[in-house]
Amino acid sequence: MRKVRSTAKPVSFFLAILMIVIFTPYQVVLAKMVTAETLLDAGRVSDARAYVHSVLSREDVKAALVAKGIDVREAMMRTNALSDAEILAIADRMESLPAGGSTGETIIIVSLIVFVVLLVTDIMGYTDIFPFVKKKQA
Amino acid sequence: MSGLGWFLLILALCSAIAGCGRSTGINWSSPSRDLEKSYLLNDIPFFPQVESQCGPAALAMALVWSGVPVSPDDLASEVFTPSRKGSLQSAMIGAARRHDRIAYGLSEPEALIDEVAAGNPVIVLQNLGLSWYQVWHYAVVIGLDLAKGNVILHSGTTPHKEISLTVFERTWARSDYWGLLVLPPHRLPANAKEKEYLLAVSHLERLGRWDIAADGYTTALSRWPDSLPAAVGLGVCLYRRGDLAAAEAHFRDATVKFPHEGVVYNNLAQVLIDRGNKAEARQAVLTAIEIGGPLKADYERTLEEIQNR
Repeated sequence: MRKVRSTAKPVSFFLAILMIVIFTPYQVVLAKMVTAETLLDAGRVSDARAYVHSVLSREDVKAALVAKGIDVREAMMRTNALSDAEILAIADRMESLPAGGSTGETIIIVSLIVFVVLLVTDIMGYTDIFPFVKKKQA
Repeated sequence: MSGLGWFLLILALCSAIAGCGRSTGINWSSPSRDLEKSYLLNDIPFFPQVESQCGPAALAMALVWSGVPVSPDDLASEVFTPSRKGSLQSAMIGAARRHDRIAYGLSEPEALIDEVAAGNPVIVLQNLGLSWYQVWHYAVVIGLDLAKGNVILHSGTTPHKEISLTVFERTWARSDYWGLLVLPPHRLPANAKEKEYLLAVSHLERLGRWDIAADGYTTALSRWPDSLPAAVGLGVCLYRRGDLAAAEAHFRDATVKFPHEGVVYNNLAQVLIDRGNKAEARQAVLTAIEIGGPLKADYERTLEEIQNR
């Protein structure tokens, strides 16, 4: 028994030190410089948000949304809730449409917005239109 | 599939439907351009392609023109995908960067004229076949003869190949007018857009090519002296390559030039703490936090780091 103790002692001593080393919140200090890429990405996202906002504020789009029974303010609030990736995808889609407020363009924009609003609310579990959306657990 | 996955999928479907009505056609005869003129770049080397390796050949022409001594053989392993008997566009872009060159995509088809007029060769992707029988091909545009209505290409096994604008436009349109400039870091595209150019430079920064990226940012600053991302990018490159004194001076100047941008104070703080100047570093990052903005969380992390030292 004594022999066991005398060998165990240095081992446990070693293990105790090892544990301290492992669990001490020691941070490797890494430079956290903000890069040009980060700046450019941040700019792209805020540009996209501003752009979607400006489209939503257009009179023809507003009128078409109201005609479809959609509250413009609510639509705007819901697009605000979209993630960066989602808003970039929508802005890309809107931007690639032919310019000039033709009726065709307005229809596409409105269907895009209706789709976004309904899909997002589906994901959030407020509505249940798209069967493929897995609902957020309440 | 996640909600976002479905979202993007359906968005893609929407775009496929809406995309059909897209009007095409290049406006070759814009009033700002001199129609009578013809442009021919005489300093573009020609490499004939072997088998289906038009990608390596086209890229080699552009790279050698830009001052990188390579042969299509050297590039084949970097860009050619044997199973597809071709070279992907992303591989072409990646290879240009691996050879320390700035890969800049043509922003619009009409820019081709400006680039050639400015002496920059453009790699273009054409579909020489039809939409249902695809023959993809890379060629280098080396000249334009607008009076005769011709484009001059280094293409395949033919140097100085002249084809009519109409045919060229049709074959080029099928790649959605994909065009690529391969430029040394001191040369701006004729049609350079600030954000696109800086993004192209930042990819070199990510590859760890600090010197080349620094040159690119310097070039950008000569064109857009008030560009914050360019100033930040140059400072970060100086810092990354270990030139702390220069980086400190650079960010100090930047705080004078951009006194309302937190990011320059944050980066200055980082340089200062690395140089052992804790008191000033703290002061700088506190200024950054006070200014705030979308990157405030990053500044707070810097402060935490400074206090842990």
